[in-house]
Amino acid sequence: MDVWQITSFTLLTALAATALMVPPGLALAWLLARRRFRGRVLVETFVSLPLVMPPVATGLILLLLFSPRGPVGGVLARVGIDVVFTWRAVVLAMTVMGLPLFVRTVRAGFEQVDTRYEAIAGTLGASPIRVFFSITLPLAFPALAAGAVLGFARAIGEFGATIMVAGSIPGVTRTLPVAIYTFTEIGRDRDAAMLLAVSAGIAFAALWLSNYLTSRAGLRT
Amino acid sequence: MLSRLTLLVLLAWFAAPQGGASEPVTVAAAVSLTQVLEEIAAAYAAAGGGPVRFNLGGSNVLARQILNGAPADVFISADEAQMAVVEKAGAVLAGSRVDLVENQLAIVATPDRVDFVRQEFGRAAAGIRRLAIGDPAAVPAGVYARQYLERRGLWSAYEPRIVPTTNVRAALAAVETGSVDAAIVYLTDLAAARTAVLAFAVPAKDGPRIVYPGAVLSAARNQTEARRFLTFLRGPVAAAIFTRYKFAPLAS
Amino acid sequence: MIEIDIRLEQGSFVLDVRERLEARVTVLFGPSGAGKTTILDAIAGLRTPVRGAIAVNGRTLFSSTGGINLPSHTRHVGYVSQDIALFPHLDVRRNVTYGQRPGQKLSLESVASILEVGALLDRGVSMLSGGERQRVALARALMSAPDVLLLDEPLAAVDLELRRRILPYLERVRDELAVPILYVTHDRDEARRFADRVVVLDRGNVIRAGVPAEVLPGTDAPAAARKG
Repeated sequence: MDVWQITSFTLLTALAATALMVPPGLALAWLLARRRFRGRVLVETFVSLPLVMPPVATGLILLLLFSPRGPVGGVLARVGIDVVFTWRAVVLAMTVMGLPLFVRTVRAGFEQVDTRYEAIAGTLGASPIRVFFSITLPLAFPALAAGAVLGFARAIGEFGATIMVAGSIPGVTRTLPVAIYTFTEIGRDRDAAMLLAVSAGIAFAALWLSNYLTSRAGLRT
Repeated sequence: MLSRLTLLVLLAWFAAPQGGASEPVTVAAAVSLTQVLEEIAAAYAAAGGGPVRFNLGGSNVLARQILNGAPADVFISADEAQMAVVEKAGAVLAGSRVDLVENQLAIVATPDRVDFVRQEFGRAAAGIRRLAIGDPAAVPAGVYARQYLERRGLWSAYEPRIVPTTNVRAALAAVETGSVDAAIVYLTDLAAARTAVLAFAVPAKDGPRIVYPGAVLSAARNQTEARRFLTFLRGPVAAAIFTRYKFAPLAS
Repeated sequence: MIEIDIRLEQGSFVLDVRERLEARVTVLFGPSGAGKTTILDAIAGLRTPVRGAIAVNGRTLFSSTGGINLPSHTRHVGYVSQDIALFPHLDVRRNVTYGQRPGQKLSLESVASILEVGALLDRGVSMLSGGERQRVALARALMSAPDVLLLDEPLAAVDLELRRRILPYLERVRDELAVPILYVTHDRDEARRFADRVVVLDRGNVIRAGVPAEVLPGTDAPAAARKG
């Protein structure tokens, strides 16, 4: 068993998922923190859904959407992009499951940024986009970092949705948690134990870092 | 007042004597036997037998559950290897093991792909991009599938395209959702298929010998009933049902 | 010149003001809650009147009949709010130059020298005294080369001693930069000393307007006479 391959694959896909979470996550967090709009409760609910639904249920939804016969998967298949049972499905599952945590943390951070600063920046001639990048984002940065670490930790530990939509294909979609599960099923207990130690170590480090960043920002999440 | 009443009811429920005759026999069985065993259990009850409860899954998973103390009276595995795992650990009641039925492999696909799969499978055509089989590392159906592919010299071509599943029914499901192009399952699984159809069955001479052994477990809480059920499985009523589902009974 | 004709809901009363302000320094005077800050907010685009029009130097910032409501970042106003609100994550230099546009005529050097903040430029914002914060906030507003300067009680949180020291800077701004100033205060002495014109507000309405001596007769007239 290639501990290194499984670990590096998991870390890389989790990193990619975390990067993918950021743009929509920032936008959603900002919208929910700063704007009243119709359908706001709906957006809040949808964003929180993967947090509350069983991960396998979320995975099943993703499978139905992205399989070659599904609405999204069908379109992608026509341009030659396979999603289910490939690394893309792994990143997809990780992103979907980590996004709600990221949005929550960053939203709390934005809500703590005094809107006076944004208003003053506006009077000084900064467009809303410039205000966001030069004032809001830097002031909320600790929350952004904490959210990213949390999203990353969630991505690494993601199992239920991953196994549904990406399966456990050796060398292709076997992440740390998926490998632990599969090895346990087929009797490779020692390998499972080794991977267990690795994933526990990573999760511990990530959570510690996230808590440290959150406390630095003075947030109560 | 209400909570005290509830407590009394719960206590009564749990303390009620469990009659041996009414306690179900728990059978851990390979998932490919799902539908056929349901029907056999009904026939068993009609013939005066007691209730039977099933725990169905990949035989390797069941074997490990049994070794970890999962309560079961009977184990029916889809291959001898998993039965051997349980036997070696001393969990099988001596002398109770019997070979029950035989099965055949089948290659399945959805109706719109089945002709292509039928024609191109033997040539490992690039159009068959993903093939679902039980995990060849331990799931019996997957082990058999690999043996078959190796025998036909197709394993190296298909190995990078394999999607290993937790059990054979998951492989069937994968083909039905369109996530894979074809799957190797048991011929008997077609009875449970909703949209998948047979591309071709693997003739006995081309495929591995697939035998389902059954045994009473030494930790069985209900040994008498367990033996009765196992004996029923080898009888003529069960044989007729097995045959209808395309299993080949091995009654002695 | 500021032309303002607006109506705005203000909690328990309605702000209804129609004025033409042409002086160098116009003071909005009145008790707290009279609506003075609200007028500044409306000019800056931070609050939207129910109806009316606002124009600065002939440029329309808001017009309910004309469907115009410029966002605040296009209004070219320099706003120094009561709470100052220096950006905590930027040093003094980056705060002051935040609104500076490339190629504008007003330079950092000239503003810094008027307000004597040159020595503070490399400091962090948290390491400034109260008076220094005031001057930096002023410099920041000025550096955006605004068409009008809106000052909301800039000396309210400052002690008497400091007040005496900052007022000359305000006078220098008035004299050297030729930007019309709208100055909110509830302090008579400040109003009398600094204003060319005073507009007195009470519960959302202008009750008096004119030169300081007429509008705000004060008990320190003898003191002023003594100062000569």
